[in-house]
Amino acid sequence: MIRIPCPHCSARNSAEFRHVGEAAARPDPSTVTPEQWRVYLYERSNPAGWITETWFHTMGCRRFITVERHTVTNEIRSVRPAGSSGPEPAEALSGRADAGSPDAGGQA
Amino acid sequence: MPDTWAPVARSAITVPGPRSVVDGWEVSTRRSSAALRLSDASPLAKVSVRADADGALADAFGVRFRSSRRRDGVLVIGSGPGEWLLVGGVGTAHQIAGQVCGLVAGDFVSVVDVTHGRALMRLTGSDASRALSKVCAVDLSDAVTPEGAAFRSSVAKVTTDVIRDDAGGGAGEPSYLLHCERSSGQYLFKCLLDAGKEFGIEPEGPGLDSTGAR
Repeated sequence: MIRIPCPHCSARNSAEFRHVGEAAARPDPSTVTPEQWRVYLYERSNPAGWITETWFHTMGCRRFITVERHTVTNEIRSVRPAGSSGPEPAEALSGRADAGSPDAGGQA
Repeated sequence: MPDTWAPVARSAITVPGPRSVVDGWEVSTRRSSAALRLSDASPLAKVSVRADADGALADAFGVRFRSSRRRDGVLVIGSGPGEWLLVGGVGTAHQIAGQVCGLVAGDFVSVVDVTHGRALMRLTGSDASRALSKVCAVDLSDAVTPEGAAFRSSVAKVTTDVIRDDAGGGAGEPSYLLHCERSSGQYLFKCLLDAGKEFGIEPEGPGLDSTGAR
């Protein structure tokens, strides 16, 4: 199980999310070469280490989020709404222990 | 055919017991005095509203994601970022939608009557949190999920809006509103009955009060 600290909903079980895949910048369709487009569509770096990927919170806020995750340890070091720049403040990563924040860590 | 004919709506949830037609809905009239009760609240009007999460409508409602508030007899629930669910008395969906449209002029707002497309149930009783926590991973303690708190999560693997609404429960006990897609309603209802078995849960009909409370 992976706990994903959703920037909207607080920490939730990864079963609530859909894994979209590695986040890659979409090339400009008006200037891109076929080769660049093929790389964008099909090639993934698949590292054993830190990766920036997109998840979709299907059973929560129904928003896409950008997550930095270590593929070996599953440690998550930053999370932010997709499309926004810069990492989310550290409070999201601490599971948001403040009152009024549902925090789901277990099964279900 | 009789001279007067009116459509009868049916909830997605089947509650055992005698049936009668109330406000155009065929419902079970069964009432329970058990310590833990699960009632079908599907006949209540449900209106889904989507707008800018920080726009004029959010300010007018005074409700953001993860909270809820009663406003003129209508329970306004922040069910998602830029997404609200309004729950009111049976048959008042158009009235509620009209009020929402009156709140904002000029902003782009989507207002949809989802009364017949969703299932709504209410779990009430001192053991409600314990029963619900068997099928939902979110911390339901008073510190984390106080009165008025709302969240969307997996309940028995069904995407469900959960609202802690003790005030609407009436009995001064912990009470949760659970809102899910109509097609999952009966399944979720049965799962909650199963989870509540050890606490002596009993199903009941919607009751005859049409104010959003029991």
